Amino acid sequence: MGPRIAASRTRGRLEWQERREARRSGGHGPDEPAMSPRQDLLSFLAGVAAMAAVVLVYTRWLHVDNALIVGFTFLLVVLLVAAAASLWVAAAVSLLAMLAFNFFFLPPLGTFYLAEPQNWVALFVFLTVSLVAGHLSTAARTRAREAVGRQKELARLFDLSRDVLLTTDSAEAITQLVQMIARRFALDFAAICLPRAGGWDVHPAGALSGGAVDASLAAALGALDPAPTGGHRTAIIEGRLVRLAPLRLAARAVGVLAVAGRPIEAGTLDALAGVVAMAVERAQFLEARKAADLARQSEELKSALLASIAHNLRTPLTTIRVALGNLQTSSIADADRREQIDLIVAEVDRLQRLFQNILEMARIDAGAIAVDRRWVLPAQIVEAARDQVEWVLRGHPLRLDAGPDVLVQVDPRLTASALAHVLENAAQYSPPLSPIDVSLAVEDERLTITVRDRGPGLAEADLPHLFERFYRGVESTRRIAGTGMGLSIARGLLAAEGGRISAANAPGGGALFTLLVAAAWKASGALEPSPGPLVPAGAHGEAP
Amino acid sequence: MTTAPPLILLVDDEVPIQRSLAPLLRSRGYDVEVAGTGEAALKSVAARSPDLMILDLGLPDIDGIEVCRQVRRQSLLPIIVLSARGGERDKVDALELGADDYVTKPFGPGELVARIRAALRRAAGAGDGPAGRVRAGDLTIDYDRRRVYRGGDEIRLSPKEFELIALLARNADRVLTHRVILKTIWGPQAVHEPEHLWVLMGQLRKKIEPDPSKPRYLISEPWVGYRLATEPADDGPA
Repeated sequence: MGPRIAASRTRGRLEWQERREARRSGGHGPDEPAMSPRQDLLSFLAGVAAMAAVVLVYTRWLHVDNALIVGFTFLLVVLLVAAAASLWVAAAVSLLAMLAFNFFFLPPLGTFYLAEPQNWVALFVFLTVSLVAGHLSTAARTRAREAVGRQKELARLFDLSRDVLLTTDSAEAITQLVQMIARRFALDFAAICLPRAGGWDVHPAGALSGGAVDASLAAALGALDPAPTGGHRTAIIEGRLVRLAPLRLAARAVGVLAVAGRPIEAGTLDALAGVVAMAVERAQFLEARKAADLARQSEELKSALLASIAHNLRTPLTTIRVALGNLQTSSIADADRREQIDLIVAEVDRLQRLFQNILEMARIDAGAIAVDRRWVLPAQIVEAARDQVEWVLRGHPLRLDAGPDVLVQVDPRLTASALAHVLENAAQYSPPLSPIDVSLAVEDERLTITVRDRGPGLAEADLPHLFERFYRGVESTRRIAGTGMGLSIARGLLAAEGGRISAANAPGGGALFTLLVAAAWKASGALEPSPGPLVPAGAHGEAP
Repeated sequence: MTTAPPLILLVDDEVPIQRSLAPLLRSRGYDVEVAGTGEAALKSVAARSPDLMILDLGLPDIDGIEVCRQVRRQSLLPIIVLSARGGERDKVDALELGADDYVTKPFGPGELVARIRAALRRAAGAGDGPAGRVRAGDLTIDYDRRRVYRGGDEIRLSPKEFELIALLARNADRVLTHRVILKTIWGPQAVHEPEHLWVLMGQLRKKIEPDPSKPRYLISEPWVGYRLATEPADDGPA
């Protein structure tokens, strides 16, 4: 069925359609003002039974013939029925009561004929009173039910507003919102439709949502003004009545809310649309703020990079320049000359390492790291890592626990580079001459490398940020000559080959870094010994 | 000055800087004491009363600016600030808190040695009786007569121009920040109107400098301040 759109002016037809909707969806929930036929029938039968009982008791046993008492008794029955059933049941019971009153209690008894004209008046008054009372009673009850219903709608709106405020994830905010609406208002279908260039973005939810309905809705919206500012509209989509309410913020239209499955009072729908409009605005605001945050973070990262590079360039350059000046002095002693040369070499190493860091970081950022897995002995990785940071490891004996004698399949370059950064970090934060322990383990198809230093350990506050770029510890009592890039690079390199790194404080003091890399392994006898340096366990008790 | 060589306190936490600067200073005839932290620097100042302090601003414990402030409270010893930050803000702060001069990393050995020499010379001269006149190269500034001579010729200056050169001459070889100069000559309300200074300095240079486009005496320290150089700039490795 194609979508049809009706303006809200056709109120009568709309209400009829809504009642049909309500019946179709089994709409006799606790908050439905309409009575069920079943309850009406029961009330009617109960009313008839009660009148029969009154007639029986008054005529057979009590012999009450006072018209006033009998009239009031029947009135009581009518009121009780009216309190429980709909108006037409109350009216039918009133009519029956009048007939019974006439037949059994107004002379001549046993006939519908009335001898005295005043009894006609009494009968007419009785009928009028019972009809009016019945009407008042059902009206009051209906109003009470409506009040309860409105209160429930209000509670739903309130819950929804709270849900909206608690939503923080901007990407999923609209989807979550429409799901919340469908759930909170027990709707078969709800959709938030936001205009975009050349059409609508429809975010549907509920049992009815699906390709056909969503497509029909989009088509129905296409017939609308792109920025609807009018009142509610309705559309018949797939045989269902769908109500469309504009989403407005002040005078600005931001979209359309579509609901189906349960009649929602016009005022409630307006309020709901208001909440949704604010939620949409909020989601869009969150989205914009997230983008701004990202841009700001990237700016901060750039200036941190510049500051780090500037600082890490200046000291080596100053040292090299001054040391070269010292070397040019003719009177310099041989020992001093050697010291100045060593100084220059060390600072050049430092510069080289800085540039290597910058390059690795750029490659990580560009996602330009190719993974090349090979069979290697884990100890070879440690050896390669040690060579990379040899200058900073001077004075820190590396103690290696090589673990089982197996071959692992990893990218040895990436793993070694990551390990080198961790070793460098360990050396920088340890007291001079303190050993650094490296242990290797292969289990569960992964290679575990742990590095333990004898430094001050890690502050609790640092743990969550340790691998963030340019993060330096909160308690840097000693300023460490680092770039603030090492651990973040280690994490980036490992991530490229599906590995990860974590840090903790070692029992007994010092920091403990754990590198995990997924790695197939096999006994080393299964392959020719691969060329390259092999490091037997414990062979590197001393730094060169 | 006694016959003992001047003692220089070198305050920098970077070991490579210590290990390159200490031999440099020793080779120029100075005694060197090294401190790696602000705490150690303050102790050394109290214990050994050095003749000059070279102070890196980025110290691990106390901020270099703070060290500067604390030293100035108890001593007039010349302070040369090493700044690796390149931030003019830090230099201005340090100078206004009593530092005498600054050198930005990376610097050459000649640059540092020249600044040390100038600072020591100024410190030695500071106590020398009534300083009625100051000489800088062939420039002579006579405070009492309010006259300025280059070679034997008098240079006619306006009162403001004389105030400016007298102020710089009284602090010869020291960097005076723009703020300090503006405040001294025009008053506190002028610190936000530096254009006064630019104009006056232009006029003064025209009258005093042999080549105003390449100042020899009135040296600009970009974004920081001005300095009256008593000796020609010497940036080559000495």
